[in-house]
Amino acid sequence: MQVIYQEGESLLHRLNPLSKVVALVPVVLFVALTTDPWLPLAFMILASATIVGPARIAPGTFWRLQAPLAISLLVFMILYPFMVRAELFDHTPVLLRLGPLVLYQGALLAGTAAVLRVYAMFLLSLIFMFTTDISDFIRAMVQQWHFPYRLGYGVLAAFHFVPLLQEEFRLIQAAHRIRGIETQGGVRTQVERLRRYLIPLLTSAIRRAERTALAMESRAFGALKQRSYFRRFRFSRSDYLFILCFWLLCLLVIALFWLTGWMGPLSFTKEL
Amino acid sequence: MSETRTALIEIEDLTVKYPGRRAPALEGLQLQLRAGETVLLLGPSGSGKSTLALTLNGLIPHSIGKLQSGRIRVAGFDTRQTTVATLAQRVGILFQDPEAQFVMFTVEDEIAFGLENLCFSPEEMERRISESLRLVGLTDLRYRRVEQLSGGEKQRVALAALLALEPEILVFDEPTANLDPQGTREVFDLLRRCKETGRYTIVLIEHRLDELMDLVERMVVLGKRGEVIIDGAPREVLRSHLSTLQELGVWVPQVARLAHALQQHGWSLEPFPLTLSEAAEVLTKRHALNISRQASPALLTSASAHKNGHQQSSGSPPINPQPGQGEAAIEVCSLSYRAAGREVLQDVSLALPRGALLALVGANGAGKTTLAQHLVGILQPPRGCIRLLGRDLTTIPARELTRHVGYVFQNPEHQFITEAVEDEVAYGLRVMGLPATEVQERTRTLLERFNLLSLARANPFTLSHGEKRRLSVATMLAMGQEILILDEPTFGQDEYNATALLELLWQLHSEGRTVVIITHDMSLVATYAQYVAVMNRGRLLFYGTPAALFAREELLAEARLMLPPLAELARRLGWSDLLTLEDLCERCLQTSSLTPQEAMGQAEGAASLEEGRPCK
Repeated sequence: MQVIYQEGESLLHRLNPLSKVVALVPVVLFVALTTDPWLPLAFMILASATIVGPARIAPGTFWRLQAPLAISLLVFMILYPFMVRAELFDHTPVLLRLGPLVLYQGALLAGTAAVLRVYAMFLLSLIFMFTTDISDFIRAMVQQWHFPYRLGYGVLAAFHFVPLLQEEFRLIQAAHRIRGIETQGGVRTQVERLRRYLIPLLTSAIRRAERTALAMESRAFGALKQRSYFRRFRFSRSDYLFILCFWLLCLLVIALFWLTGWMGPLSFTKEL
Repeated sequence: MSETRTALIEIEDLTVKYPGRRAPALEGLQLQLRAGETVLLLGPSGSGKSTLALTLNGLIPHSIGKLQSGRIRVAGFDTRQTTVATLAQRVGILFQDPEAQFVMFTVEDEIAFGLENLCFSPEEMERRISESLRLVGLTDLRYRRVEQLSGGEKQRVALAALLALEPEILVFDEPTANLDPQGTREVFDLLRRCKETGRYTIVLIEHRLDELMDLVERMVVLGKRGEVIIDGAPREVLRSHLSTLQELGVWVPQVARLAHALQQHGWSLEPFPLTLSEAAEVLTKRHALNISRQASPALLTSASAHKNGHQQSSGSPPINPQPGQGEAAIEVCSLSYRAAGREVLQDVSLALPRGALLALVGANGAGKTTLAQHLVGILQPPRGCIRLLGRDLTTIPARELTRHVGYVFQNPEHQFITEAVEDEVAYGLRVMGLPATEVQERTRTLLERFNLLSLARANPFTLSHGEKRRLSVATMLAMGQEILILDEPTFGQDEYNATALLELLWQLHSEGRTVVIITHDMSLVATYAQYVAVMNRGRLLFYGTPAALFAREELLAEARLMLPPLAELARRLGWSDLLTLEDLCERCLQTSSLTPQEAMGQAEGAASLEEGRPCK
């Protein structure tokens, strides 16, 4: 998450992290209910516009960070019609026949809808991830939603570990390569290699965790039931305003699709 | 400061045990520290220095470990009956690893963290945060993210976070161990400032002592079992117990070692010097050594000409330092490397003759490790950039490369791949496809040489620091590698182990192997290195002999390096050509018995001592 977060001073950056959660979660859940591709498509556009618009994320950065998921979803979309059970869609017109492979229109539509749905949900949550510092989010959770502070700050300390462990893993890999360890081999050698990485990695992770715990406790972490806060997290007027505006906008989109009949049926399980 | 210093910390008959360990970490420890005192705590690795620190702020026994017997009173509070919250406002500990101390992501939040834990009001926090930032001189970095800071800055932030709690007692637990010379200086300056405020009782655990001895009022030495074996004023301790300290294997100020060496030649130095300035003064006064100040330029030129010939004087590093010596072991030609949009290496060229011992120095992030990693194929150099033993590195298959070059990582654990010490050594030999009997024999010889034979069946992860390091070197020589590269081999080692390892590397070098050591330790460079390469912001700033490097102050400053203590002392005495304890000792003895004219005549002889010889 800290990898995706982009430092900035935009309107969305300045909002309380939780107001973004409140604004986004119902919308994401609604998108999960859709079955047709059109409404997710609209929300994709809405989310992208928010990201490059009010959140002021550089389009290049946005493009680069969403690309991995976009590509894997595209692959899924292409494979889906051929992998799905044919009898589900054999009542729909055949679009293409490649030897034993048959492409049904229904399968293509269903795959596209699934992919767009997931992608729309992803883009909506990107609004949050791009603009929210994880430490602000956790601190707001602790302060406003009474998330246990010992747990919350433990998670925060753990976030410092991620890049360090990545670096450590890279080093161990290099160190083992220098010992002349086989880099190729079958599944068994690969598993054996991972096991070898794991011991030094865990040893140093545990050591580091111990040190961090001692450093935290040395500064009276967890010594008292209560904590005070230097920076207070609370909802301001702009937070309420943002939630309201975002919801209204989304309702407008949904109403438009519903009235024009483009929304399609809603279902969570997609068993229609 | 009050005249009568009362005991602020009273430790009586303290025995501490960690669960799962048989031997106690501290045993029967008696110690009283008075308010306002600055105490240097010494001891070999594993003697319980850090454990003692943790007993002071109550983490032992409240979080880890067990007080088996005895008790500690800090400012009148019995630590067993006092909460960590109370003690945290009395005792602040600055730990070794700056990375492991941070919880939050910005400087301000990090300093607020401790205050928040203790439920201070926002107004009070604001006051304390700005005050502590002012004290450590980081007011400008208040809103910076901690991962963007340098190592030294990180430690200063960590200290600010402690100072915000307004403790009376500050414990510095090897705060510079992970830092480069620049960061070390920042932390030492700050330590000095803390001392000058007169507000703190300071307990110092450190091994770079020469720059600090003027601050230390008392030395306490822990023995192997975690008991106090020496306790007294630094002058007295270093004068009377230096050999005990060295037997224990703890680091001692180099000035004290020099003074001792001179004493053994019948010199009496009064007062016994602890710092560079004291040593310079006492030596100058006693033997009118300042006469040689005029002699120094002449000495320097003659010494350089004698030892290193052509490679010294030129500003740009020569590509081939020793023509006519056959092919180079390592030859790097305009190597550049970019990572994450930054020039990590820029146009680096150097050629290292076979059998040389090279020290690679420079600030953190200067490109030392990146350069070294290119030499073993961890990073891929472009074709034609690096030649190893006369062959283009890109043409040597990875498998074969490991037989020519060994690389010892900073953390030896990274390299362990088997469950027994002997298998570690044998692994490479088996990969080579040697017959079992030969593998066995060569493993045995190596283990014997590295003094690991008795541990042959132990799991590598259970070894001590020094043993792990020796094992990692042994594994890197098993295949008969001709070139050995070591990344900070003395990191985290006590003096005994560090010296033993360096002696070993010196031996390998004498046998004709090429050794490259990445280090921050300039004394190591002065004592052991034959050549030194200085990296600065991705460029090779200097390549030549240590003597030539140390003669160029502007260059050292640019690379943010410092002279090793004894070379600095020699410079103050006017002998910029001398680097090591032996040289210095010898010159002192010579000069004292000679007239100035004679001294100049003798200089040639002194300078021709074989370069880089380790001193015992």
